Amino acid sequence: MAIEDDVLVIGGGLAGMTAALAAAAAGSSVRVVSKAESSLGHASGLLDVLGRIDGELVSDPYRAIARVDTDHPYAMLGTDRVRQAMDWFDGILGDAYTGDSHTNALVPTIAGTVTPTARYPRTMAAGLASDDRSTLLVDIDRMPAVDAPLAAARLEAAGVPFSVRGASITMPGLATDITRSHFARLVDRNETIADEPIRDQLAAAIASVHDGEARIGFPAVLGLEQPAVVIDYLSAALDADVFELPTDPPSVPGERLTRLLEAALDDAGVRMTAGVPIVDVNAADGRVRDVRGTHANTSVPYRADQYILATGGLVGGGVVADRSTVHEPLFGCHVSQPADRADWYADTPAGPHAFPRFGVHTDHEMRPLEADGMPTFVNLRAAGAVIGGADFPAQHAGSGISIATGWHAGRRAAEAIDR
Amino acid sequence: MTDPREQPPGNRDLRPGTDPCYKCGTCDASCPVADVDEDFPGPKFQGPEQWRLTRGSDRDVDPSIMACSNCMRCDGACPASVPLSQLHNTARGQYVTNQQSAFSRPAIRNRLLANYRRGAALAARFPRLANAVANNRLLRWAMDRGLGITADRELPTFATQTFRSWWEDRGGADASRERAARNCEDDPPVVAYFHGCYTNYHTVEVGKALVGLYESFGYAVTVPPQACSGTPMFANGRLDDAKREHERTLAGFRDAIADGAPILTSCTSCSMALRQEHPELFDLAGIDELAGNTWDALEYLRVHEDLADRLAAATPEESSTYVYHAPCHARNQGLARQARELLADVSGVTVTDVGDSCSGISGTYGWKAEHYGHSMAIGEPMFEHMETAPGDTGLTECPTCAMQMEHGTGYEVEHPIVVVADVLGCGLADGAYEITERSG
Amino acid sequence: MPVHTDVLVIGGGSTGCGLARDLARRGVDVVLLERGHLTQGTTGRMHGLLHSGARYADTDPESARACIAENRILKRIAAHCIEPTGGLFVSLPDDDPSYVEEKRDACAACGIPTTVLTGAEARERAPYLTPAAEAAIAVPDAAIDPFRLCVANALDAIDHGARIEPHTEVVSIRREGGAVTGVAARQARGPGDRGRAPTYSQGPVRGDLVQYRADIVVNATGAWAGQLAAMAGLELNVRPSKGAMTVMNVRQVDTVVNRCRPKGDADIIVPHETTAILGTTDEEVMDPDAFDEQPAAVDRLIDELAALVPILAQARSIRSFWGVRPLYEPPARRTTDPTDISRAAHLIDHGHRDGLDGFLSIVGGKFTTYRQMAEETADLVCEQLSVDATCDTAEAALPGSEDPERLDDGMDRFGLRSPVARRSQQRLGDRTQAVLDGKAVNPAVCTCEGVTRAEVRDAIASCGADLNAVRIRTRATMGTCQGAFCAFAVGNDLHPAHDETTATAALDELLDERWKGERHALWGQHLAQAMLGYAIRGATYDWYGDDEPDWTAFAGGATDGD
Repeated sequence: MAIEDDVLVIGGGLAGMTAALAAAAAGSSVRVVSKAESSLGHASGLLDVLGRIDGELVSDPYRAIARVDTDHPYAMLGTDRVRQAMDWFDGILGDAYTGDSHTNALVPTIAGTVTPTARYPRTMAAGLASDDRSTLLVDIDRMPAVDAPLAAARLEAAGVPFSVRGASITMPGLATDITRSHFARLVDRNETIADEPIRDQLAAAIASVHDGEARIGFPAVLGLEQPAVVIDYLSAALDADVFELPTDPPSVPGERLTRLLEAALDDAGVRMTAGVPIVDVNAADGRVRDVRGTHANTSVPYRADQYILATGGLVGGGVVADRSTVHEPLFGCHVSQPADRADWYADTPAGPHAFPRFGVHTDHEMRPLEADGMPTFVNLRAAGAVIGGADFPAQHAGSGISIATGWHAGRRAAEAIDR
Repeated sequence: MTDPREQPPGNRDLRPGTDPCYKCGTCDASCPVADVDEDFPGPKFQGPEQWRLTRGSDRDVDPSIMACSNCMRCDGACPASVPLSQLHNTARGQYVTNQQSAFSRPAIRNRLLANYRRGAALAARFPRLANAVANNRLLRWAMDRGLGITADRELPTFATQTFRSWWEDRGGADASRERAARNCEDDPPVVAYFHGCYTNYHTVEVGKALVGLYESFGYAVTVPPQACSGTPMFANGRLDDAKREHERTLAGFRDAIADGAPILTSCTSCSMALRQEHPELFDLAGIDELAGNTWDALEYLRVHEDLADRLAAATPEESSTYVYHAPCHARNQGLARQARELLADVSGVTVTDVGDSCSGISGTYGWKAEHYGHSMAIGEPMFEHMETAPGDTGLTECPTCAMQMEHGTGYEVEHPIVVVADVLGCGLADGAYEITERSG
Repeated sequence: MPVHTDVLVIGGGSTGCGLARDLARRGVDVVLLERGHLTQGTTGRMHGLLHSGARYADTDPESARACIAENRILKRIAAHCIEPTGGLFVSLPDDDPSYVEEKRDACAACGIPTTVLTGAEARERAPYLTPAAEAAIAVPDAAIDPFRLCVANALDAIDHGARIEPHTEVVSIRREGGAVTGVAARQARGPGDRGRAPTYSQGPVRGDLVQYRADIVVNATGAWAGQLAAMAGLELNVRPSKGAMTVMNVRQVDTVVNRCRPKGDADIIVPHETTAILGTTDEEVMDPDAFDEQPAAVDRLIDELAALVPILAQARSIRSFWGVRPLYEPPARRTTDPTDISRAAHLIDHGHRDGLDGFLSIVGGKFTTYRQMAEETADLVCEQLSVDATCDTAEAALPGSEDPERLDDGMDRFGLRSPVARRSQQRLGDRTQAVLDGKAVNPAVCTCEGVTRAEVRDAIASCGADLNAVRIRTRATMGTCQGAFCAFAVGNDLHPAHDETTATAALDELLDERWKGERHALWGQHLAQAMLGYAIRGATYDWYGDDEPDWTAFAGGATDGD
């Protein structure tokens, strides 16, 4: 016996969750099995589609899709499917996100840069770089990754169309090495720190450095559960529009997105099993029959009619390399790669590198292909960063690829079910 | 490769185990203790960072390791498969061995809590007396002040008859084989039950339900001699105690291991200890085989029998509503959603999951006076969710989570095995030894 | 206005810094010029072994005796730079067993104490050593941090009146008559006052060509000595040889492990701070600034050394780097294999050799004997300057190692977690209290290495807006993440003391330097790390974008102005 479903999605990141939602929406019974709790908290929480092509900033992500390389996942999908997937995904995001279908936004970050994105959390909406209102950025002295005065100076140097200034605040009641998630939870619960509710203390500390700027940017730590409430509270107290700046991991907006999607999966009746890495595949006649997960030394079989590989890229472990080869470790799908390791990277950190493009290549059905162009298995599809061909950090395309390939793979898997 | 388990426990080198860490901080974001305890630096520091920063004889461990509750949420959160529980358990063991005076108050208290089984074994001989004494106010006050065991909790009630004593009275393995044979065409396959301390001394009905359930599926249950799973010992850095107990368990399960029999647990912390923690720490004969054959009791039936179908077909007489809390240790084993999935298809049974909050008790953690406040703060979201969810009966696999659920809300708390056995009509209520014949 | 001094030392490696210290302590006016940051040449690109001399005992007893003598001196004067790890020469089944005794006897003849161990005894000292180890010789090798040592020498030199000028590159040598009388050098490349810390110099403006005048110019540029000599119109037969070193994420050993065989590449593992360094290869190069860095050398180190410590085959490497040995061979000898070129030091008086006075070159030699090389050079300099002063560098402890008793005092005061406090103390030595005390909000900035904001700011105060110089002083960004998470945080501390342009350029320089080594570790776990860092910089920060967009074209979803 095995644990059985129509569609088994392997991997619980953005692509896996999207694929599961798409398959469930098409009427399938779906399970997402992942090796650990979702690590979507790695991500900034921004949902980009295509922000740069050949290094050039693009305003309309859909129009720029025409310019991607032929082995890019978007080339496989085509512009219309990417657009349909994003439109569909907007319905899942609801009010938590905003953005425009055809126009990217530039969002200021804690590093004092602006980053292009197609969708962004509503908590960041007041911060857009296209907005010319005066801006104050604020940091807390015990979070060394953020330095608001330096970030403001960088924005100014980049020529943003607004006046910007940075200031540090100190909140004596907080631990020296407070983490972002801890801070977020203190704000969620409005805990009393140094005899004062933290939201009041935060408002007072910001007020002491605020000099009439129309909007105030703060690192994205303003609560995991109800950031809108916190932001409204602070905005009212400070008489300015408060917004968040995206951060590196661990990212509070990434964690909020995880929760949002997990709730959507629950509502859609998707089953979720976390903590079980899939380690073994049983296939026959070109079909995956079942797979085995292992947790804490016990091996558990899972069976489905259709499988979706959404195990991530190099960070997620869906694509791995030893000193001589790059491979997809679970199904052994073909991964094309430069033969010599010296060609995997460029000599400067900015690239262009070959390694971000490592991954499987698929047909229009999202099925991974072998070197001979034949599908590895007829009932296996891929979604997200396990698919190669895109330098997603350089192109600002990671979320869009996960959403669009996940949506397509999930729908196709549901359609292919042998009933 | 040299196995660190072969190195002396007080001086193991686990630095190579930190290699997978890419510093993302997901573990810290998942840590319930770091959320409420300002002084706790979080699992990334306790594990990969602290280990990596050691060199030569600089093996002193930061005392904050003792504030980790060993809930192992970090282990299940880590996307890079860093062996956090191994790093933490070993560091805690080294701290207790090398840096904590054996006669300090916390050491004495922790030894007592970790070796709960010994006291329980004695108390279980005189359960009524033990129950009367256990919650004596003066005694509890003295325990709090003298030892740092909080007086704010109620000690668990001892069952009037232990599970093992019931099992022996019932005729042991022979009786079970006989009953199983009625539901089985051939020789009934044998399963070995690791009941753990709590089922034996307190929640005897869980063990009885498991026996009834398995016999109804045609399995002959055996209950080999066994010791503590080690869970409270790991959490208190008492690795020698854990090893000693596990050697006794391995001896007791020698035949089951040799026969490759499935080893069943009804407590997700016991299964975590047997499956993962022991093999990570000790190199004992049979330890990996026992780990590989250990199953959560419902999980085994789900994978090997038509449990899901039978549940879907069941028609319980009464409807019931539960608020379910997934124990942290269940998460790491992929079991966090098992109970609600299995019960979701049962008509008349409603289960609301209270989400991914930690109950906060983590075995012995919440019993320590200095952590009681943290424990209740961690549990607060769970209490709130329980109270807003429909129903006023709790459901969980973990006995100490159940204790905390009860303590925070006053709810009765059931075990999924008991619910499943009831739904399928094969439970063994106190004194009732009847087995429902397997239909079809 | 030229800068006048008695002696100009060219080269900020171990020899140059040691020489500046020695001369300054003898009361000689000295200025040191270094084209990059201190240790940027060979000193910062070695495996950090403080030789006991055992390696050379059978082939080069003279070097061996010098090593053991200096080994003992440095353990005394530079305690906070040295970890007395001891070392093992391990014999495997493929190795000639009689060589163990040969090595032991040769060590005895050089005064190097040894203990012969069985394989099992060796494994007690290094649990991850291969079970195949048959025997080992324990020797008093040690691990040394060359960065900290150089910086301590420079600090002491400054305390005694020397000037240390990093980021100052000699572009020509001034010859007048039959003598060298000075150099012209270009100062402080890059923006702002980067590399031009106030303590080091109140000198000229960046980018300017500065004239230096001195009675004696000492060429202490190691592998670059031939190039510098050429500026004076001289030929110096330096034969630079590159050696690859691979840095592992953790220490698989806490003692130095050498393969016990007569000669060979890829035969040493040195525990270095929080890492282990695998060394090394030996291949002659034409130009010490331009040579290939091939993955094959990294593979070879790992594959060969996994025979000694098998877990290396699966272990994570975080970077590799290549150093260039300053090998020197007197004319006439024409050794073909660079491993056969003597490691002996040569002090060349160009007045004597080439008829060009006021110019000395110190070439060849080893890091372990840097102090002795400095002493001999300083002796000659003093003789030529008629300075009558004796050398005290063998007795006087370096800053940080002056008061070892204070090291274990009251670490609790600083409010740091014990491993962070311990590591801070190991790096800062007796300066710990001065650096950490009274810093109220002092978060860890680099969590891999346990470096706090106070330590980073202390380093910035002493070396300015040069994050690579901050890095070598603190080890910030040198751990597991190689700066993926902490580089930005470390860079933040430059501001506002240094302006945004300077701070951003310094950060980019640090990121470039980190990548230079990290790109050689792009497989397995570190490829995941590198990809994550690349994704943060690219996808989240758009760090590499440098366009000036039409801002109004990027108003997607904006609610105002609609």
